[in-house]
Amino acid sequence: MTLQAEVIKEIKFGVFSEEQIKRMSVAKLTVPDTYNEDGYPIDGGLLDQRLGVVDPGLVCKTCGGRAKVCPGHFGHVEMVRPVVHAEFAKIIYMVLQATCQKCHRILLNDEQLTIFKKETGKELESDEPIQENGDAGDKHVEQAMLRKLKGVKKCPHCGTVQEKLKFSMPTYFYLGERRLKPDELKDMLIKVSDSDLAVLGIDPRVSRPESFILTTLLVPPVTTRPSITLETGERSEDDLTHKLVDIMRINQRLEQNINAGAPQIIIDDLWELLQYHITTYFNNETAGIPPARHRSGRALKTLAQRLKGKEGRFRYNLSGKRVNYSARTVISVEPAIDIDEVGVPRAIAEVMTVPFYVTEWNFEAAKALLDRKEYPMVLNVIAPDGKRKRVLEANKEELAKEVRPGYVLERQLQNGDMALFNRQPSLHRISIMAHRVRVLPGKTFRIAYPATFPYNADFDGDEMNLHIPQTLESQAEARHLMEVQYQIFSPRDGIVIMANGEDSIIAFFMLTQEGTRLSKEDASYLLSTAQIRGLPKQERDGTYSGRAIFSMLLPEDLTLEYGTGDKRVSIRKGQLIEGTIDKKAYGGGASNRLFATIAMQYGFDVLREFMAKSSRLSYAYATMIGISLGVKEYLGTESTLKSKEDTLAATHKRVAELIKQYKDKKLEPLLGLTLRQSLEQMIVVELDMARSRAIQELNKRVPKDNITMLMANSGARANVLNMEQMSMFLGQQTARDGSRVRRGYYSRRVIPHLKAGDSNADAHGFIESGFVDGLAPVELMMHAIAGRGSIMQKGLVTQRSGYLQRRLANALQDYYVASDKSVRDVGNNMVQTIYGGDGIDPTRVQMAKLEKEE
Amino acid sequence: MQNKRINLEVQPGEPVGMVAAQSLGEPGTQMVLGTFHFAGIASYAAIATSGLPRIIELLDAKKAPSSPLMRIMLKESYAKSFPKAEETAKRISEIRLKDIMRRIVENFAKGRILVLLNQQSMQIAELTPGQVSAKLAKQLGVEARVGEHGNVILHTHTKNLKEVRTIAVKAAKTLINGIEGVGRATVSQDEKTGEFYIDAMGNGVDAVLEVEGVDPARVYTNDAFAAYRVFGVEAARNVLVSEVAKTLRDQDITVSDRHITLVADAMTASGSIKSIGRHGLVGSKESVFAKAAFEETVKHLINAAAFGQSDYMRGVTENILIGKQIPLGTGVVKLTIKNTHEPTRGKKEKD
Repeated sequence: MTLQAEVIKEIKFGVFSEEQIKRMSVAKLTVPDTYNEDGYPIDGGLLDQRLGVVDPGLVCKTCGGRAKVCPGHFGHVEMVRPVVHAEFAKIIYMVLQATCQKCHRILLNDEQLTIFKKETGKELESDEPIQENGDAGDKHVEQAMLRKLKGVKKCPHCGTVQEKLKFSMPTYFYLGERRLKPDELKDMLIKVSDSDLAVLGIDPRVSRPESFILTTLLVPPVTTRPSITLETGERSEDDLTHKLVDIMRINQRLEQNINAGAPQIIIDDLWELLQYHITTYFNNETAGIPPARHRSGRALKTLAQRLKGKEGRFRYNLSGKRVNYSARTVISVEPAIDIDEVGVPRAIAEVMTVPFYVTEWNFEAAKALLDRKEYPMVLNVIAPDGKRKRVLEANKEELAKEVRPGYVLERQLQNGDMALFNRQPSLHRISIMAHRVRVLPGKTFRIAYPATFPYNADFDGDEMNLHIPQTLESQAEARHLMEVQYQIFSPRDGIVIMANGEDSIIAFFMLTQEGTRLSKEDASYLLSTAQIRGLPKQERDGTYSGRAIFSMLLPEDLTLEYGTGDKRVSIRKGQLIEGTIDKKAYGGGASNRLFATIAMQYGFDVLREFMAKSSRLSYAYATMIGISLGVKEYLGTESTLKSKEDTLAATHKRVAELIKQYKDKKLEPLLGLTLRQSLEQMIVVELDMARSRAIQELNKRVPKDNITMLMANSGARANVLNMEQMSMFLGQQTARDGSRVRRGYYSRRVIPHLKAGDSNADAHGFIESGFVDGLAPVELMMHAIAGRGSIMQKGLVTQRSGYLQRRLANALQDYYVASDKSVRDVGNNMVQTIYGGDGIDPTRVQMAKLEKEE
Repeated sequence: MQNKRINLEVQPGEPVGMVAAQSLGEPGTQMVLGTFHFAGIASYAAIATSGLPRIIELLDAKKAPSSPLMRIMLKESYAKSFPKAEETAKRISEIRLKDIMRRIVENFAKGRILVLLNQQSMQIAELTPGQVSAKLAKQLGVEARVGEHGNVILHTHTKNLKEVRTIAVKAAKTLINGIEGVGRATVSQDEKTGEFYIDAMGNGVDAVLEVEGVDPARVYTNDAFAAYRVFGVEAARNVLVSEVAKTLRDQDITVSDRHITLVADAMTASGSIKSIGRHGLVGSKESVFAKAAFEETVKHLINAAAFGQSDYMRGVTENILIGKQIPLGTGVVKLTIKNTHEPTRGKKEKD
């Protein structure tokens, strides 16, 4: 951990006064231009060398530093006439409304003042900050008071009747009918006393309202607005520089006109123009005025635009940081590595480094490492003064002599190093987990299949990021808090999120069937893949039961029993006695009690080990038995085809009946619906039922050894609906709101091939073909309509939920569990006395539930 | 292998706010936008806002939810009899004249308005022409009587065309029975207890509490603001929790209750309901930077400057901005060096 010598405790905001601006300015700028004919910065121009330098080779006239060393210095422009800072206009209005137009005292009588000060605690005393805590309660009193001030007709101090004060966006003020020019505004604001300002909530020590009217303009250093030289040698100035040139040009013209005694109208026009430029210099999106544009027609990006929004300074540069020691490439699966490992391509491992801190105790090891000439070798040496030197053949011996305790060697990445692995979008904390590096050949990052779930990753071209923590502290935190085995249970619901699926599930499903027997060779082979020595108890006929083999993976004294009937799973003393291991038992989700029990009783490392061994064994068994399927599975038998016909015929008949009833006005309307809506509703229900009937039929008719059924029953992949849609019919396609496809060509039919007003199934997206047969043209159309709808839906939902996520994060990020288990924010305000009512870790809620059951 | 049991408790410093935010935000992409998947069920649940829009509506602390519903439990004697429950329901659902009439005929020459009542809907609503006429007279301040064929005649005592028409228009909208703003109320039976209860659309909790037969302790609304107004913040908090939980459950999304309660508690801890957004929780943060980094950057900076506010750099955002470790998680732990240490020991210690 780096010790912080100085800590920022407070950042105070304020508005520079004219004097402060002049004091901090290094140059008064007078020439509204940038470079002279020789391409040299003009003195007193906007790129005056006293403001700092950006071109390499030039030296700053203020500090003597070169580009990148000189931080830049502020200058100033003196304006001939004051102008309003448009961003402060509302606050100016507030101050003016709250103070007398003649004596400029606050429009509260002394009695009200005392009450007000007492209630808000606002009084200017010694050096105490005025608003230690801008409490909500205070603001209430404040606002109520200020609202009252608007209505005050007569000054309680001097008795002057107040005229109507009007404010018109962005910078115009009127007293009665008369426009108040900025100089008049300034005169009024100067006269408001410090103590009155304090009552209004303004800290006069750092912000005087007359500073809201500008007479001198602070000019930011050139480093803030660097000019760029194009390849053609042409110079291109920053938008801010452009704007400043505009301001100075008008300022100069205004001065010339005033000196020449030009008519008032001309002066006012130029003044107005100056106001416009100043306003847009601060914010080029000010409401009520057209944005200043570049010659090309592009709106200029001025100060406010630099800060605002997603690409602004705050969100893009300050909240979002760029990092070193990171890598990114495509990901792919690797069944041979553990869930807490990440396969790193050699090419990446050779470039990325981990610091090796040289001490007197590891000095010899450091020397040896530095001496190496191939792969795990030292790339850089960092001296205690922070200077980094590249290790080359030429300087290796020299460096070896130089290195002492306190030096840091940057060593190439090797197996076992901690790395943070991430996939975007990072929607929850387990989108970043710590893995142990495994250097592998190839060019992709490799992860184990169960580790894809927290990342929501697949291997169709997804890319992921890798970060190497660079301090011992961060490596330790990564290893003990972020490593994959600690994230097996999701913080969202405490349920298993990382588990095997697909082939692994079906393998165990087959293995743990009642009656699965394996030869000695097969049993030995399987157990060897899991690095388990020895064999389970032999059956009488010399074979080994699948369940006994599975039991070898379990902790010796594990006991776990649940479920009833044929769903019962019974593990006693580490032996699976009864039940099949399917997705419910071994896959992700709340039904997986095995993982929670192991984690709770033996810890996460044992669980990780169990997952690693069982995965390998399951892959081996899946390979051994070989599971494959073909179209034949879906072609349908005579019996299924017949039931398809029957189901469809029955459905059509019922729909026709409903339509007839409707036409005969015999249909009973449903609660709260019109007759027409009721008909639609009833048809929808009918069509929905067609699919469920077909599924029932399939369940009855498809042989049990059908691989698809096997997959569905074990939970490995697919379900009966998938099969039904392939071998029987697709069923109803829904439009955006879940209703039948209805709008389209003309109002009463979807496409011109249909009859207008037809309520029948096929006219509104009921598809009678299955994927095996292929769709009819009209059906394809309907399917495409529904497909398009769901794509649109997806786009919309991601947008909306992304914003919700951002709002939630910003609103709740400051809450944490204090040492007494209460939930507080960083300001120490309590929101819960005990987290969640029970103080249980969200990743452990399922375990807590199981513990209770015990 | 005993006593290897792992600790199930939360660790101090755990950033549970962020965890809650992520737990509610992450499944957002799995939610649907529209109102459906209720195909076939013609009940209020089917037309109620659901999915992501409902979650957003709740967290936004919207003053007027798009589909307010009430579940009204009844006092024992009413809860056991269907007719009595039905009777109570009728006292609750709003009936305006236009719901029970066929037509209004104005007689401008005589300044009279003839209201032709719909006998069928009158019967369903169990109203007599006398009651309607009395109500109209009271509400409109005109003379009203029951005419032949059970119709109601209003005497406006004016022949001014405009006035007569105004009264006629007003009459149609006059509330005859029930509670203003409450739509249809239907009686259902609880499968477990056999109790009858009323589901009603619309919002009028305060008025419902007064209705005879209603058990005021067991009236539920899905409108957090109504709950806040009538029952207080704690009730509003409970509504937020149960509504968010229900919406997620309907979408088959499992989120631990602790996350939902934390969000609801954060929203209501101040004593009123604060939304998740710039006008609510984020807007009332103490830190200028935290507010500026969220939304309305320029506004917050200008205000801070004008009023001379300070940022005390206590929160997460502020510390990230200046590149400091955040004050949560392992960052809450602060170390102090004890000066009494022997110098020899101090030397050996790392860092």
